[in-house]
Amino acid sequence: MARIELKGINKSYGAQRALRDLDLVVEDGEFFVLLGRTGAGKTTTLRAIAGLEKLDSGSVLIGGRDVGGWTAAQRDVALVLQQYSLYPRLTVRGNLEFPLRSKIRSFSEAEIAARVDKAAKTLQITHLLDRKVERLSGGEMQRVSIGRAIVRQPSVFLMDEPLSALDAKLRESLRVELKRLHSDLGATFLFVTHDQVEAMSMGDKIGVLRQGRLVQVGTPSDIYDRPLNTFVARSVGSPPMNLIDGRLAGGAAEIGGFRLPVDGKPAVERTVTFGVRPENVTLQSGAPAEARVFDIEDQGVIKVITLDMGESRLHVTVPAGTRVARDELVRFGWKADRVLTFDPDSGHNLALA
Amino acid sequence: MARIELRNIQKFFGAVQVLKDVNLTIEDGEFVVMLGQSGCGKTTTLRAIAGLETVTSGTISIDGRAVQDLRAADRDIAFVFQSFSLYPHMTVYENIAFPLRAVRQSTSDRESAVREVARVLGIERLLNRKPSALSGGDMQRVAIGRALVRRPKALLMDEPIGALDAKLREQMRAEIKRLHISRNSTSVYVTHDQIEAMSLADRIVVMHGGLLQQVGTPEEVYNRPSNLFVAQFVGSPVMNVAEIAPQSGGLSFGGDAMLPVAPGLVSHLPEGRALKLGIRPEAVVVSETGGAGTVQSRVTNIEPLGSHEIVDVTLGATTLRARMEPGRVRTGAPVWVGIDTERAHFFDAESGLALRRTA
Repeated sequence: MARIELKGINKSYGAQRALRDLDLVVEDGEFFVLLGRTGAGKTTTLRAIAGLEKLDSGSVLIGGRDVGGWTAAQRDVALVLQQYSLYPRLTVRGNLEFPLRSKIRSFSEAEIAARVDKAAKTLQITHLLDRKVERLSGGEMQRVSIGRAIVRQPSVFLMDEPLSALDAKLRESLRVELKRLHSDLGATFLFVTHDQVEAMSMGDKIGVLRQGRLVQVGTPSDIYDRPLNTFVARSVGSPPMNLIDGRLAGGAAEIGGFRLPVDGKPAVERTVTFGVRPENVTLQSGAPAEARVFDIEDQGVIKVITLDMGESRLHVTVPAGTRVARDELVRFGWKADRVLTFDPDSGHNLALA
Repeated sequence: MARIELRNIQKFFGAVQVLKDVNLTIEDGEFVVMLGQSGCGKTTTLRAIAGLETVTSGTISIDGRAVQDLRAADRDIAFVFQSFSLYPHMTVYENIAFPLRAVRQSTSDRESAVREVARVLGIERLLNRKPSALSGGDMQRVAIGRALVRRPKALLMDEPIGALDAKLREQMRAEIKRLHISRNSTSVYVTHDQIEAMSLADRIVVMHGGLLQQVGTPEEVYNRPSNLFVAQFVGSPVMNVAEIAPQSGGLSFGGDAMLPVAPGLVSHLPEGRALKLGIRPEAVVVSETGGAGTVQSRVTNIEPLGSHEIVDVTLGATTLRARMEPGRVRTGAPVWVGIDTERAHFFDAESGLALRRTA
């Protein structure tokens, strides 16, 4: 059992507070993704669990046991980093065997061979076993470094941006492989990234981290469809969710001199920030609002249209076949049941307040 | 205003040939993006146009005048790099005005030139600041301003927004495009990012191994790739590519997996050659109910991306990725898979070249 629990973690580097009262639970066997920008505290969290960081306060529990006094080696966790640190002079097999030949573990030769073969098969690198690692591609090297983590059969995998240094095509295929690996091994995965596509596509759960605090934890659809505040709303989705300041009045939205319908909102009058994702804005003749096309990006499968609304810009995604011209005036509306409302001051989602 | 022509450009670094017979015409006022991986020759091409790199052979002409033997300063071309390279001890105003120091001009002309670019770039309020007080996006705006203030014939940009974060890149893309339109200048832009290329370019030049792979509008490059390299370089997720064998009943994916397609499609394919099918994720159709032109399969993975999902299905030895609306199918579920044959591409497996349909 490898449930991970962090309670009230604080960590500062000098005057810089990296983690602030961080509470986090990763259930046994879960694929948990921590999403945040540079400096949000993602890597510090991983290093705290791995035992590589001395904490100012708080406790780390793995499988229900407080591991605060344990060394990194005693914690039975494997760490995979963005920079694969393999031994260049050794073959792939030599690299995979290495963690099993450590002095504190004693494995028979047969056991070592069996574990290496199994890991190689899982990662589809059996044909590379006798090759020197310096002759491998980036993706192969990253698979070997994951393999080196697997052979020890740890119950917890901690991964720090393992795909970030790879090219787009390789990242795509390794995302799928990592998910398959997770379901094959049944281990607990804690994966750290700044890339919202990785978080959405791999995580059973996503934790959004900001300035050392956990802002929201939920499934990808919770985070995407029911963000707790505007920060979370804009951390997933591309282009990000549109945020438009306006008024809620008589059950409709007033923005930039137009009235647009909203579903299920109380009939109070107040200023709010409306949140609507680009795929839920519609271009249609006769729609209630009007704006000028500022920019068009053809992404092949879709087009991203930017509308100039004076004080703000609005992103709209439309099918690739849609014909619009730059500087053209277009009518637009939105899907009334997909509009969120946020408090303009605190940024909180009013539906979840 | 400038029409740029490259004819038979060869470039060697020692024994390594980095440009292999590059021929390209960039029309006056056009926005051309050179797209490729690192080492493909795109930056070398750009530097050769600017005069920062000599070519081994071939001619470069700007508005009909051969310039390959002219110094960079005599070509009247501006260059923007990924690293901002501003003078840290000068204000934004002084940085932008710097290229004008060699031009005989009254102080008021100089000031109006600086203010005009600053206005276009939206950085008027920053003119008295030092670069150290600017954000990354503003620094790059200043660098672009400095490049534009002389009103050069052409603006060359080498991954100018590659060092910025994702949100700022998105915003700067739109600004660079607007700027290009308002100035009507010839722009050549180098990137490895296919989204930047698709969204900025009038025409994209895809390079690989020192060779031009395809030159075309974003729509052409996306919908009619000339070879497998281009097909898999543009688009995300990448185009599915599968080894197939045309048979009388349809396309065989190996094993028992046979996708029935109209006989007309198969009869156009050449016989006796190894072929690959290319199909974009949005042209793979996955459904819980069968029908004509579908084959049974299973969902092996789903990536929920919020606005859409990427659904993986297996056909014989191949995994196809489909782009779908969220929540339509579940992992492990039996499904039926078909393809939109109008959007199917076929490639010669050996040469990688696209087979053009004749009908």
